[in-house]
Amino acid sequence: MQVALKIWRYDAVKGERALREYEIDAPEEATLLDCLDIVKDQRDGSLAYRKSCRMMICGSCGMRMDGGAVLACKVRMYEIAQAGHIPVISAMGNLPIVKDLVVDMGPFWGKIRAVQPWLEPGYADPGEKENVVPQERADAIHKESLCIMCGCCVSECNSMESNPDFLGPAALAKGFRFVGDVRDQATVERLQSYSEEHGIWDCTRCYFCNERCPKGVDPRDAIAKLGAEAMSHGIDSDMGAKHAKWFVTSAKTTGWLRETELVPKTQGIAKSLKEVKFAMGLVKHGKVPPPFPPHVAKHVSEARALYDLVKEQEVDGADGIVQTEKALGHLEHAADGGEAAQRGPYGEGSFAKPFLPGEEPTA
Amino acid sequence: MRAAIEAFDTGADVGIVSKLHPTRSHSGAAEGGINAALGNAAEDSPETHAFDTVKGSDYLGDQDAIEILAAEAPGDIYQLEHWGCVFSRNDEGKLAQRPFGAAGSPRTVYSADITGHVLIHVLYEQLMRRQEQGPLEVYEEYFGWRLVIEDGRCVGVVCWDLVKGGLKLVTGKSIVLATGGMGRIYRATTNAYACNGDGMAMALHAGLPLKDMEFMQFHPTTLYPSGVLITEGCRGEGGFLINRDGERFMARYAPNALELASRDVVSRSETTEIEGGRGVNGSVLLDLRHLGAERINTKLPGSRELAMTFAGVDPIYDPIPVRPGAHYHMGGVATDNWGATELPGLYAAGEVACVSVHGANRLGGNSLMETITFGRRAGQAAAEQALVSPNGRTASGAASLADAERDLKKLLDRSEGERPWKIRDELGATMLENFGVFRYPDRMESQLDTIQALRERYEHVVVEDKGDVFNTDLTQALELGSMLDLAWVMVQAGLARQESRGAHSRPSDFPDRDDERFLHHSITRWEDDAPVLSTEDVRMTKYQPEVRSY
Repeated sequence: MQVALKIWRYDAVKGERALREYEIDAPEEATLLDCLDIVKDQRDGSLAYRKSCRMMICGSCGMRMDGGAVLACKVRMYEIAQAGHIPVISAMGNLPIVKDLVVDMGPFWGKIRAVQPWLEPGYADPGEKENVVPQERADAIHKESLCIMCGCCVSECNSMESNPDFLGPAALAKGFRFVGDVRDQATVERLQSYSEEHGIWDCTRCYFCNERCPKGVDPRDAIAKLGAEAMSHGIDSDMGAKHAKWFVTSAKTTGWLRETELVPKTQGIAKSLKEVKFAMGLVKHGKVPPPFPPHVAKHVSEARALYDLVKEQEVDGADGIVQTEKALGHLEHAADGGEAAQRGPYGEGSFAKPFLPGEEPTA
Repeated sequence: MRAAIEAFDTGADVGIVSKLHPTRSHSGAAEGGINAALGNAAEDSPETHAFDTVKGSDYLGDQDAIEILAAEAPGDIYQLEHWGCVFSRNDEGKLAQRPFGAAGSPRTVYSADITGHVLIHVLYEQLMRRQEQGPLEVYEEYFGWRLVIEDGRCVGVVCWDLVKGGLKLVTGKSIVLATGGMGRIYRATTNAYACNGDGMAMALHAGLPLKDMEFMQFHPTTLYPSGVLITEGCRGEGGFLINRDGERFMARYAPNALELASRDVVSRSETTEIEGGRGVNGSVLLDLRHLGAERINTKLPGSRELAMTFAGVDPIYDPIPVRPGAHYHMGGVATDNWGATELPGLYAAGEVACVSVHGANRLGGNSLMETITFGRRAGQAAAEQALVSPNGRTASGAASLADAERDLKKLLDRSEGERPWKIRDELGATMLENFGVFRYPDRMESQLDTIQALRERYEHVVVEDKGDVFNTDLTQALELGSMLDLAWVMVQAGLARQESRGAHSRPSDFPDRDDERFLHHSITRWEDDAPVLSTEDVRMTKYQPEVRSY
C-alpha cells in the first residue's frame, strides 16, 4: 500500500525544525514503526527515532501522531492510508527534543525516581519463602504494573505543560504501584510525600493520560486512588484534598455542590478573604446563590442513601476505585468483540471445532 | 541488571553500559514465565527440573551447570518476590505455577503473560534503590562495539555514545557481557530490533570461543504475519494447536505431551504440517476458544492484546495464526559455571553466554531463570575478582580508541555504495530459508556462499547519517557487520554437525542423533578473518543419554 507521512524533523546541532513529507510503499500489515523503518532505510538514513521490541512492551517508540501520543509499533497504518490521510508525526510533548522524534527522557526518569520507586518491605529478614498475598490483593496494582514507561501520558499531561515540576501521571502511577502493594510498609510516608506540592493534587483531571496510555494503565485513576488513600489515612491538608472532601460533604448533606462554601472550605477562611473582591464581582453578576439557607435537593435522601451504601461496603480508599474498575471491565468486555462476539466462538462462520486425530471432525 | 546488582552488593563500584535504557531490553518481552521447582502447584524437585532440562537439551547441556540452575532457582525466585516482583498467585496466595512444554511438573512461575516485563521493572527498581546508596552509573544508549584487551586481560569496552556522538572508552577491572541474543539474523523472529548478537561478535573478534552456535531455537507460536511472540503459556493454560481442518495434529507427533512437547519438536511438527499443505497462509492455528473469556482475560491478556492489534484476531472467538520463528540462541560465549570466559576479566551471562544449560534445545521458562541465576553468579564472580585486582587503568585504551576511530571514519567517509537494509533483509530471508527449522546439506552450502557474497557487499556499505547526535544509521550498520560474521559461524557449525539433535535437524541426510560422533559441543574461534571449528566434551554428571520422546 502507498503510505504518506509528514515528519517534524529537528536538527539539534543547528536548532532547525522542518516538516518533511515522505511517500513510501509498505505492506498492508505495516505499523507506523514499520513505515518509519522504510523511510529510514530507503529515503533518509538520518531520520532518528527509538525502537526495539515492536510489540508494545519495551516502551521505546513513544511519539506523537497528529498531535497525540502513540506507540509507533501499535498503530496500524492500513486504514489511515486507505482514507488518504497524511498523518503528522512529531516528538512527544513535555520533554526536550534530542533529534527528530527522539526526546530526552531524563526529566521523565527523574520524576520516577522522586517517588522512591522500590518496595520498602519493612523487614530485614524476609524469611525463606514467598510472602503470601491473595490474588485479589495483588490485583489492586494490576493496572499500574502494566506501565512500560513509554512517556505517552507525560507527553499529553496538561498540568505538566503549565507546571513542569508536577510529578506527573507516570510517576504517580508508579507511586500507587507501591502504595497499593500490601507488601510495602511505607504507605504513610509515600502518601505524605506524594501529597506535597507538585504531587497528587496538582492533577487537573483532564484525563488525557488515560486517553493516551497505550497499555491501559489509566494513570489518572491511579492518581485518584492515591488521593483516596491519602484521605483515608487522614492526609488531607492539601487544598486539593479539602476541595474533594467538600464535594462529598455537600453531596451528602444537601445533594448539591455547595459552591459558595467551596472556596473557604478548600483554601481556609484567611486565604479566602483575599478572594472577597472577586466573589463580590460574581455576586453582582448573579453568579453566586445565597449561601443561607443551603439549597437542599428534593431527593437528597437518595444521595444520602448512596453515601451510606458505599460506607456499608467498607471499601475505603483505593479499593473502592479498584472495585469500580473491575465492574466496568466486565461491562466493557460484555459489549466488546463486535461481529465475532455476535456469532460466538463456534457459531456459524467460525473456524472448525478442534478434534483429535481419529475423532470425527465436527462442523 | 541482575549481575550489576549482585556486583554492587558484593562491594564493587559498578557501571552498566547499554545501547538501550535498561528497561527497554528484550528480557522484558518474555511472557510465559520462569522455572523453579517450588512445588506450589504439584510435587516437584530440583532433580526433576534438572532431568527435564537435560532431556530437553537433547543431552548436550552441561549437567553440572543445569544442576546449579535447578538447585538455586527457588531461592532466586523468592528473592525476586521479596524485592517486590508482581507474580501471579494461587488459591493459597503463594506463587502460582503453570505447566510448560516438556516439564514434568507445573513449574513455571509467572505474572499473567508479562513475566519478563515485571522482572525487568523490579530489577530496575532495585537498581534505582542502590543508586541512592552508592556508585552505580548507567551509561544509557552507549553502543558497545569492541573489547579492549591488555596483557591478556579484558580491561574495557569501546562504545559509541548514541545521544551525544563520539567513541568513548569505558574501562573496568572486570566486565560482564549481558547483551542478549541475535534473532534478528532471521527475517521471522520474536526478537527485538536490538537483538543482533553484538556481545557474541565482540567476544568472537577478541579471540574468544563461541559454543554451540548452530542451535537457534524456533518458537512454535509466533504471530502471523508480524512474528511477535505468543507465549507458550497459551498452551500451558490448555490451548490447542490445530491445522487447516481443525485437527490437533500434535497427537500424531507427540502422543503423550501433545501441545506441550518441547519447542524443537512442536516447531518441526508445525513445519511438517505447513509444508504438507495442511496449514493456513503458511501458519497453523493456536486455538484458545475453549478456555473462555474469563481465563483468557486473566491469564493471557497480553497475548489477546497482541493478537488483536497485530493480526486482527480476538482469541476468545477465533484461533490465532502462528508459525515457528527464530526465538532464542542456545549457543554463545563459552563460560564456566561462574560466568567466567577463558579471558581473565571477561564474564558473560544470559543469552549471550553458553554455560551451557540449554544444550541443543532450551525449555520454555528456563531462559529467564538462567539470566537471574547465572547473572547473579557472574556479577558476584566479576566483583570478587575486581576487588582483588590492583589496577583499573589501561595503557592501551587510547590505542584501541584510535583504531576504532580510524575504522569508523573509513565507514563514515564512504559516500558511494549500497545502503545496509537490502543486505540485512537478504540475510534474514536466506537464513530462514536455508538454516531454519529443517536443514539440508545443499541449502546450507549455498547459504555459506550467500553469506560470503553479502559480506563482500557489506564492504561497500554506506551510512547516510554523518552526524553525531542519535546516529542509529551508524549503529545499525555496525550491527549488520556482526550478524554477517555470526551467520557464517552458525552455518559452518551446522554443516559440521552431521546429526539431528535438538533444534538442529537434518531430515534428509542425518535424521538421527549420533552420540557416538557428536555428543560434544561445537567451539568456534575467529582466526585470520574466518571462523575455525573445534569440539569440546559435554560435562556429564548422572544423566546418561536416552531416547528422547514426548
